[in-house]
Amino acid sequence: MDSDDVSKSSLSKYLHEEITPVVMLLCTPLAEQACRKNSLTLVQMLKPFSVSTNIQVPVRTTTDHQPYTLRSFKLRFVSDSDIRQPQQQDIVSSLKEVVSCASDETTYDPQSDPPQLHNLLSMSESEVSPPWFSVFNRNLSQAVSFSEHETFDHPVACLVIVSSSDEHPMSKFGDLLSLDQLPTPLNQGVMDPRMLKHYILLHDKQDNSTEKASKIYAEMKNTLGLNQSRLLCINSNKDEAIKLLENPWICNKTGSVQNHEIARFLSIEDLNEIKELVKDLSSKMIIPYMEQKIRNLNQQVSATRRGFRNQIKNLWWRKGKEDALDNSNGSMYTYSSTESQIRILGDYAFMLRDYELAISNFRLLSTDYKLDKAWKHYAGVQEMMGLSLFMLDQSRKDSEVCLETAFNTYLKLGSSGSKNATRCGLWWAEMLKARGQHKEGADVLFRISCEEPSLHAAVMLEQASYCYLLSNPPMLRKFAFHLVLAGNQYNFSEQRKHAIRTYRSALSVYKESGWSYINDHVNFNIGRWLAFLEMFDASIKNMLGILECSHQPLTTQNLFLKDFLHIVKNMGKKLEISKLQLPSISASSLKVIFEDHRTYASSSAVHVREKIWQSLEENMVPPVNGIKSNWLDSRKIQTPKKYSGNVSMVGEAIKVYFEVKNPLQISLSVSSMSLLCEISAKPTVEGEKKSNTGEIFDTRDQNDCTLEHNQLELSEHNFVLEGGVIKEVQLDVTPQMEGFLKIVGVKWTLSGYVVGYHKFDVDLKKKCKKGKSIVRSQKQNMSFLVVKGLPKLEGCIHQVPKTTYSGDLRPLTFELRNKTKYTVKNMKMKISHPRLLIPGSSGDLDLEFPDCLKKQNSSEDKNIQAEIMHKSGGLLFSFPTTAKINGGENIQWPFWLHTAVSEKISIYISIYYEMENISCDLHYRTLRMLYEIEVKQSCYVLSFFTLEVFFVVSTFIY
Amino acid sequence: MIVCVAVIGQQNNPLFLQSFTQEDDDLKLHHIVHCSLDVIDERVNNPKRSGIAVNEAFLGLLYPTESYKVYGYLTNTKVKFILITADPEVRDADARNFFRKFHVAYVDAVSNPFHVPGKKITSTSFSRKLRSIVDNLGSITTV
Repeated sequence: MDSDDVSKSSLSKYLHEEITPVVMLLCTPLAEQACRKNSLTLVQMLKPFSVSTNIQVPVRTTTDHQPYTLRSFKLRFVSDSDIRQPQQQDIVSSLKEVVSCASDETTYDPQSDPPQLHNLLSMSESEVSPPWFSVFNRNLSQAVSFSEHETFDHPVACLVIVSSSDEHPMSKFGDLLSLDQLPTPLNQGVMDPRMLKHYILLHDKQDNSTEKASKIYAEMKNTLGLNQSRLLCINSNKDEAIKLLENPWICNKTGSVQNHEIARFLSIEDLNEIKELVKDLSSKMIIPYMEQKIRNLNQQVSATRRGFRNQIKNLWWRKGKEDALDNSNGSMYTYSSTESQIRILGDYAFMLRDYELAISNFRLLSTDYKLDKAWKHYAGVQEMMGLSLFMLDQSRKDSEVCLETAFNTYLKLGSSGSKNATRCGLWWAEMLKARGQHKEGADVLFRISCEEPSLHAAVMLEQASYCYLLSNPPMLRKFAFHLVLAGNQYNFSEQRKHAIRTYRSALSVYKESGWSYINDHVNFNIGRWLAFLEMFDASIKNMLGILECSHQPLTTQNLFLKDFLHIVKNMGKKLEISKLQLPSISASSLKVIFEDHRTYASSSAVHVREKIWQSLEENMVPPVNGIKSNWLDSRKIQTPKKYSGNVSMVGEAIKVYFEVKNPLQISLSVSSMSLLCEISAKPTVEGEKKSNTGEIFDTRDQNDCTLEHNQLELSEHNFVLEGGVIKEVQLDVTPQMEGFLKIVGVKWTLSGYVVGYHKFDVDLKKKCKKGKSIVRSQKQNMSFLVVKGLPKLEGCIHQVPKTTYSGDLRPLTFELRNKTKYTVKNMKMKISHPRLLIPGSSGDLDLEFPDCLKKQNSSEDKNIQAEIMHKSGGLLFSFPTTAKINGGENIQWPFWLHTAVSEKISIYISIYYEMENISCDLHYRTLRMLYEIEVKQSCYVLSFFTLEVFFVVSTFIY
Repeated sequence: MIVCVAVIGQQNNPLFLQSFTQEDDDLKLHHIVHCSLDVIDERVNNPKRSGIAVNEAFLGLLYPTESYKVYGYLTNTKVKFILITADPEVRDADARNFFRKFHVAYVDAVSNPFHVPGKKITSTSFSRKLRSIVDNLGSITTV
């Protein structure tokens, strides 16, 4: 890096602004009062003009150096009361204000997404670090201004200002300069009271006539000297204020005073006059004065200290001093001591930008201080050496070493040096940053943060994190880590907005795969702090991401959930969350069971593959497309055929099975879990769809809910899910009206506060047990056409043994119940194993053992036609044509079970029946039954016996 | 005393992290391991400047924290091993030795046909083996 970059760096700018001659202002109360008319103090009035940019002052510090030109120069105007070490509380509170202001200024939307990583990476240095950092750093550095161990804060000149309204103005000049009026450091010999003096008569044009002022001014010129006196007129403006655009004071004042009051009596002429004053002051007085002083001091120093002989002498003389004294406070150096004089020489040379001269003097001095063990002075000199080397941009290593020594020496001093260490560290870090050594800069900032209270530490850490971001290549993880550290400190110092901001920036890094521990921690804290600031929505958003934290230990899970529920409680309303993962619902386990024309006797029958049933029912049920023989036929039955979805009956429950899983190790209490359904009225047959179909009742809406409860019956489920448990849940919905029903999802209440929704995913193909052979998308499977209730038979075979022995023969009672009010007729039945399960004649029911073994007489044979089933081809049995089951009745039929070889058998039975006198979309239904029987090997004797019986029975069947 | 060992995958995702302290400091260790990845990246990208041999898997001391020292090791498949120790002085030879054993254990663990490459290592035998390696090293260094 060349020196061009150094001069452009923020540190060199800062040094040009801050390490500049101090001009002390001594003024009478009346003079101050004249300024107050403009809502400005005297210092404030002069401040905007303190930088003189278009000057050309040739400077020649030493006789053997070439003269060089200063083109811009800054003065620091300080009121006499401020020439002292600032109070630490003031500094702390001012810093706090800077941070708080910044937190109010940074307007960000907590709902928006946190900054993206690639955005951060593409930002330049000035974009990354907010401007208030430099303000903060400056204020922090000022905590140690006007220290006795360094002289650049010592006033170089003083302006003695007396108002023209003062009585006896001439004597006032003397009074102001009297020693006991001066600030304490000047009195006590820490600072040199001999300085350049300039006398100003401040003339308020509103108060006095110009004649009086010029009279006093003439007197001043006579007594105080022509060059040292000046007349400054202010408040010459009578009516209108300076246009705001030209008003240089506005930007310096904060909002407490109305803008139009500032400088309202100052005219353009006044303004120019002040400008001229400052320019003259710097170019004609202060710079030449300092130049002169440098020459004098340099001569003095050269005579006494430079050269080999002087060095030996000095060493001898130093040795003579009691070097046992560890002189850390350095009170032994007054302004007149040789050391202080060399220090002044160095500082003046630094301020006049003759860094070479400054370095040579600082070097000389540092050995002296080291020998004296005046560590604070030593550190101060090292610090200045480092800065001078930086400004010269020579030997990077040396400047770093100097600043590091200074930093460490200050730190060793303990509490008295810690503030200085901070300032030194800031300069050091700035220097490293200016040279592109961001990583090292970050290390320094981190070291500062260890010494400072939490708020300061937070700002330092945040700056360190940006250093990592800006280093090449960017160290993103360290960036994030330091942001987290900073956020933590911000939180300690109750700057939660800042804490949230830093954590959110860090999130972008931790999103990268797998670092869930850290990610959870960051999200959790953002959530907590947002809740603290009562930004609940954003808080919940952050918390939701971490609730399902199965990888966390039990205590953390507990903490997360507890805090989440606490936040929800504080929100004061029930929170509704779609896609709540507590508990999680597995989409693949979803099963929907409903009955259209196919009904089931038991749940085991439901789970049999549809194909088995279809092949069993092949010849029994009319073919699906049998109603419409060709496309020319007008459709008699419109809606169900047109509607490709599932059909369900009014009053019959649709059952939905799914698995819920508790991903956590803690138990969850889930209450009122129910299905989320939409039902809309069925369009009329004429095809007028417009009116009702569009009407979808959203269950989330409280008003619609009541309406819906009349139309739907939803089962509710309450349970407590232990940690890690998977549980199958069955939920029912029973439509009470005709129309279209759509099962949207599930809702439940977690711990009484949080209402979770899970929508069944539309796109997922799923295995619906009852689905027709065509594979349909889930959406279709979850919507139903609800048609008018139909008769439904319930059936069972009594006394079916689970296990039996081979060759066993036993009568069974088959019972069909019709619980509806309709009559069914035309019943047929198919049995998958007709050799095993044989329908008997109705009379068999009355038989009693051993009577049944008797030979049948012929009279009974007559009735056989009516009482036995027809076996018409294959496996189909038809019930007698007269057999009807009226509403509310039931029918019993005998069956014979005859087992052959030992095996496990599933017997499928399907019963077909038709409705009587019902004009309905469906004209038949089937009842499917499944029995599983295990046949075991039996001993021969028994087998023989049963064969006999079988023979008897079979004779009257066939 | 070894505080923590970790295996980090190619995509810098944590595959395995085991803490050997009794305290509940997982978060801290995660942070340390995560930050050390920056240092590994730096070492690997500028091998000359950091002065490690090109074919050397052992990356040496990555960085010291206040109370720990972090060592790194990079396998041929860009899987990183990280060792966090609380010992003030660890000889490079010991660390090297440890990582060699660690590597062998890791190879065994990922050779398990049921292990999905790139996924977290859940094998308990790997964890057990590591513990024994850690205990062995502990006994060597304390002697």
